[in-house]
Amino acid sequence: MPESAWGWLIVSYLFLAGAGAGAFVSAVACDLLAPDWSKSLARAGALVSGPLVIIGTACLVLDLEAGFWEPWRQIYLTRNLHSMITWGVLILSAFIPVALLYGAAVGEISFIGRMAKKYVVVIEAVGSVLAVCTAGYTGVLIAVVNGVPFWNTPLMPVLFTASAMSTGLAISMIAAAINDITTIRTLSNFALGHVIFIAIEAVVLALFVFMSMTRSVEAASSAMMLVSGSLSPYFWALVVVMGILVPFVLSIVEYYQYGEMPKTLVVGADVLVLVGGMSLRALIIFSGQPPQIV
Amino acid sequence: MPRYGIAIDTTKCIGCNACRVACQNQNNLEPKGEFNKIVEKDRGVFPSFSKEFVPLQCNHCGQAPCQRVCPTGATYTAPEGVVLVNEKLCVGCKYCIEACPYKMRTIDHRSGVVVKCKMCIEMVREGGVPACVSTCPTQVRIFGDLDDPYSEISRFVAKHRAQPLRADLNTGPQIYYKRS
Repeated sequence: MPESAWGWLIVSYLFLAGAGAGAFVSAVACDLLAPDWSKSLARAGALVSGPLVIIGTACLVLDLEAGFWEPWRQIYLTRNLHSMITWGVLILSAFIPVALLYGAAVGEISFIGRMAKKYVVVIEAVGSVLAVCTAGYTGVLIAVVNGVPFWNTPLMPVLFTASAMSTGLAISMIAAAINDITTIRTLSNFALGHVIFIAIEAVVLALFVFMSMTRSVEAASSAMMLVSGSLSPYFWALVVVMGILVPFVLSIVEYYQYGEMPKTLVVGADVLVLVGGMSLRALIIFSGQPPQIV
Repeated sequence: MPRYGIAIDTTKCIGCNACRVACQNQNNLEPKGEFNKIVEKDRGVFPSFSKEFVPLQCNHCGQAPCQRVCPTGATYTAPEGVVLVNEKLCVGCKYCIEACPYKMRTIDHRSGVVVKCKMCIEMVREGGVPACVSTCPTQVRIFGDLDDPYSEISRFVAKHRAQPLRADLNTGPQIYYKRS
């Protein structure tokens, strides 16, 4: 495995920020588009979104070295607008308060929440834009890196956004089930959403891998590492089978057997989506290789 | 203002690593830390086979990717065309390490900031040459001003058609190689 300057903390951040943004979008979609029975999911998504992004951002700060020991240095993080990290800091700084406010409004937590409830549509509109920015930015962050040709493609933010949406919906469903297990029957209504997001993710992932094969020598070597090389057992087992195929089939069954599927399978499919989303990011980070120099 | 660069003649390199050790001493690096290194490259197939030693270091790119991605602006280009790190601004996010196609940056865990080849700029400003250049027993490296057509380095680059490594990456490297 090639050495990367970034490790599990950055992988966790990419995953948690994506899942938090996805949870926000799924909560807004449920609140606006679906009828009353979806309120439990909207509530769960709104409540987990902000905390997830905050934990992700904490991973990012823990990964800093001088900026962690001397936190006042973090004030310099917005000095270079050519840097995607600068944009990330701005996007996260805007998204986190909006996501927390949305959680407070939907959960009617304290007087702030009750006050914010009057403007919930505004929060939903602004927050959705920021959520898509957060999810897409995690992909752009690594897509602009010259040092790793495998990441250097516009498909990267598309793939990460698709994965963010499916992991966000999955984590909202798990939260809704934990909150009130009786709502699990109504969760079958969202199986179709899962099917759509997982299908998009699968198509983009296939495009990403196939196009990397011919993009450059280094990208092809990274892609081969996933498909048939040292990381291939993890790629096929964790990402393709557990993260895409099994939850895809389970969601289709769930959709047709409305409310009849065992609870463990409904929640299990969601957990698998999370495992797949985390593994996808880890494998993409750890399979990155620098250009051949000599 | 000069535009400093280094020309490297790999046909003279014997792989003794004196440049690496001189650099570590000069910059007070940890034993594992390195601003330059020598990689061995196999050329050709038997019976026309040879081994090439290629000394690598920061290319002090004219359009440095590390500088573009640095969120704090800690990485900057000195007027002499040397890419430097302002250690007071660096937060240690390591984005520059990922962005560098030549993988020539490293993090100093003692101070938590990213460090790199400075082309020994303090010595150079006092009229000296970088430690890796002066220490080399076979005089592989030539240091000088690439904007002065009469400098030793410019004449060497022109005479041997020396090329940077992976110029196709469009980062404008300032280290030139004569490789055959």
